[in-house]
Amino acid sequence: MKRYFKLTGLFAKYSLMSALEYRINFITGVTVEMGWMIIKLLYVAIIYKAGTNIGILTPNHILLFVGTYVLMTGIYMLYYGNFWAIPGMVRQGELDLYIVKPVSLQFLVTMRRLDFAYLLPNFIAGVVMIAAGWHLAGLPADFLSVAGFLFYLACGCLLTYSLFLLPYLLSFWILSVGGISDISSALWDFNNMPSYLYGKWFRRIGTYILPIFVITNFPGLFLMGELTPFACVWGAAAPLLFFALSRILWKISLKRYSSASS
Amino acid sequence: MITVEHLRKDFTYYKKMTGLKGSMRNIFHRETLTKEAVRDISFSVEQGEMVGFLGPNGAGKTTTLKILSGILFPTDGKVEIDGFVPWERKNAFKKRISIVMGQKNQLWWDLPASDSFYLNKCMFEVDDGDYRDIVTELSELLDVRDLMNVQVRRLSLGERMKMEILAALIHRPDILFLDEPTIGLDLLSQQKIREFLKIYNERQNTTVIITSHYMADIEALCDRAMIINQGHLVYDGKLGEINQLFGRRKLLSVKTARPADTKKLSAYGIVREQNAAGAVLEVSQEHIQEVVTAILSSLQIEDFTVTEIPIEENIARFYQKEAVMP
Repeated sequence: MKRYFKLTGLFAKYSLMSALEYRINFITGVTVEMGWMIIKLLYVAIIYKAGTNIGILTPNHILLFVGTYVLMTGIYMLYYGNFWAIPGMVRQGELDLYIVKPVSLQFLVTMRRLDFAYLLPNFIAGVVMIAAGWHLAGLPADFLSVAGFLFYLACGCLLTYSLFLLPYLLSFWILSVGGISDISSALWDFNNMPSYLYGKWFRRIGTYILPIFVITNFPGLFLMGELTPFACVWGAAAPLLFFALSRILWKISLKRYSSASS
Repeated sequence: MITVEHLRKDFTYYKKMTGLKGSMRNIFHRETLTKEAVRDISFSVEQGEMVGFLGPNGAGKTTTLKILSGILFPTDGKVEIDGFVPWERKNAFKKRISIVMGQKNQLWWDLPASDSFYLNKCMFEVDDGDYRDIVTELSELLDVRDLMNVQVRRLSLGERMKMEILAALIHRPDILFLDEPTIGLDLLSQQKIREFLKIYNERQNTTVIITSHYMADIEALCDRAMIINQGHLVYDGKLGEINQLFGRRKLLSVKTARPADTKKLSAYGIVREQNAAGAVLEVSQEHIQEVVTAILSSLQIEDFTVTEIPIEENIARFYQKEAVMP
């Protein structure tokens, strides 16, 4: 385990060093990401202006939820480039030199490049929005609340990784997954706004079948005391379940790998 | 030790119809085809041996190397390398082998190669002291000490390949697979890499299996050659004995004062080449002495040389399915 932390640290360091080799590209990446963030902030601004509630959520709560979404987007984008590269690696036989390393191949393939240009603006803005929403909504800030919130954030991170890796694993079968990855990106954007915006059945499906809403809604809902005991357990179990599923499917997929001619 | 028994690898793919119409049809119907990349190959390699895999493109050399290194699963057959089955991909196995592919790279493009070496050190759990010794020793042998802090993208192809080889040896593997390591390199870089591999094999007693289209690589490094053609192992033996399989024949090159008559020349052997300045004849080894004597007395010869038939020629006969292993 210690070795994996060290390797993650090295990947982070090398990725940042590589990115800084191309300063203009790095700065452009940060700027574009900030542009996207401003669009998200506009939604919140409109809600504040209109003073509308979504279900039980006041604009302050919504700020907290959108902040969580922005933060999670930054964390997902940190390693998303690796997912995106999987189909190309499978098609061109680029997994060859990773397979022979005595390290988990899934870890190597999905974590070797980390993009800080996407992480930084989202991380900073996400944390500020969460803190502001939390404070303005008058939510408790005791140890249990903070720990619970961080716990469900961590669960959300694991669930994001596991759930959104699945479509890219299809590339071992069908080689090109552009269409499917577009759908998965669209699913991610459902978290743009709190799940209370959607209908009851849609919310249930998005929570218990394809649990995308668990990722960004559960930390806030926990703070508000709106998670039922069952949902509390599900929020912790779903990431583990989907992580196990991603591991199993990864191993099955790898057996399909046929490399490419040299 | 490497033992391979009845190794087979099939790839399935679908038949691509030509043209746009064909592509449209392929959406609804795809005919599955099977390519037998490796068919019933068996051999064994002792520790410390250097073996050359020869064969035309698509013969199955690289596929065999990929199965031996655990990258691919075989369709059938058994492989055992120092007690390990490669495709079980155990970490202990991976620490004993390494593979270098001339057309693929593992170094971080925008960083100096030394950063990639350090990453490999951490992956393979090499001690700090050992790591320093290995990098110092190999960088001197490969003559790349001054390039350690240069970004990979700024290195020449030859320098990059040397760095790739160094990166692959950080964990001192017992077995090294090399897939066309000198492809595209200039003569000097090719030679340097050959010299390095020879010295490294002698020092470390590393088993080396190498594929290359450059005969010079194989002749310089390997006593033993395996020729693979259309997935079959068609020759496994000493490289030097290949020529003997096709009869002991020599090439007699003569330089004549005046253009010689082809009819006259063909009485001495098979005329392979002829021009105004001379000719090249193929003559059996038993008759070479009498042919030389006769030709010197009957033609006005200015100079002559006797050489072996180039080994490539006979290897090519294996490629053309003219020959199988005796």
